[in-house]
Amino acid sequence: MESGSGLLGAIEQSWLGVAARESVWLYPSANVGHILGLMILAGSIALIDARLLGAFREMAPGPFLRVGRRFAIAGLLTMLLTGSVLFAAEATHVSANLIFQTKLALIGTALANVLLFELFVARQVRIGIAGVTMPVAARLSAALSLGLWLGVATAGRLIAYF
Amino acid sequence: MKITVIASAAAAIILLGIAAANAHHGWGSYDAPNPVTVEGSISESNYQNPHATIKVKAPDKEWTITLAPTSRMASRGATAEKIAVGNKVAAYGYPSKVQPNEMRAESITFEGNTYQLR
Repeated sequence: MESGSGLLGAIEQSWLGVAARESVWLYPSANVGHILGLMILAGSIALIDARLLGAFREMAPGPFLRVGRRFAIAGLLTMLLTGSVLFAAEATHVSANLIFQTKLALIGTALANVLLFELFVARQVRIGIAGVTMPVAARLSAALSLGLWLGVATAGRLIAYF
Repeated sequence: MKITVIASAAAAIILLGIAAANAHHGWGSYDAPNPVTVEGSISESNYQNPHATIKVKAPDKEWTITLAPTSRMASRGATAEKIAVGNKVAAYGYPSKVQPNEMRAESITFEGNTYQLR
């Protein structure tokens, strides 16, 4: 294994990086866990965004989003945990990958979108009752979220091809 | 709204379809119609994930050969001892179209036994 220098090299030489490469089961387990995390994250986000865009109007948005968000956070944490194993195994290689860099940028933008939603839109949405059309800002944020997270998932799958 | 969801789902399916069309990742960048057999002694061996790799000194040049994940290597019988430094092997596979001197092995032969890696 030719290791890079600096921080990325240090990550590769860390116990996690070494374990990810040397262990027979750690890397494949992290790989499987990463996809299971993606299912939970993408599934819950798709439902949240669909609700904001106008689907399932019969359900009050507040409780719907609260439950959905729990799953989204669980999925995101699973992905961060398993993703760091996959990353540590070949940090230098992966960091130089344009698709991986794109994926990180998309994650950053998607999380910024979550933050903006929480800061400026969430309050209005939470007090909404069933059947009410969501504010334009909420619908915009949801459409953006859907596109960004689908982009994250697509980029993630494509890293190995470039 | 429904249209947005359907369109997003369709876009994702198309993109993943493009990815799946490459069959196995990375194979698109290997010259499958022109397989080569590289024979020589192993000068470097990395029995590790996501793929084991070896360096083999062939008469013309030193090749970097990408093998399989360690779990598959082990289950096919291509253990770390069989690809240890100094061992003589023959690797059949496809040269990289991107990286000179790199190839992806379809199978490796060691002491008369051939181990399929796909």
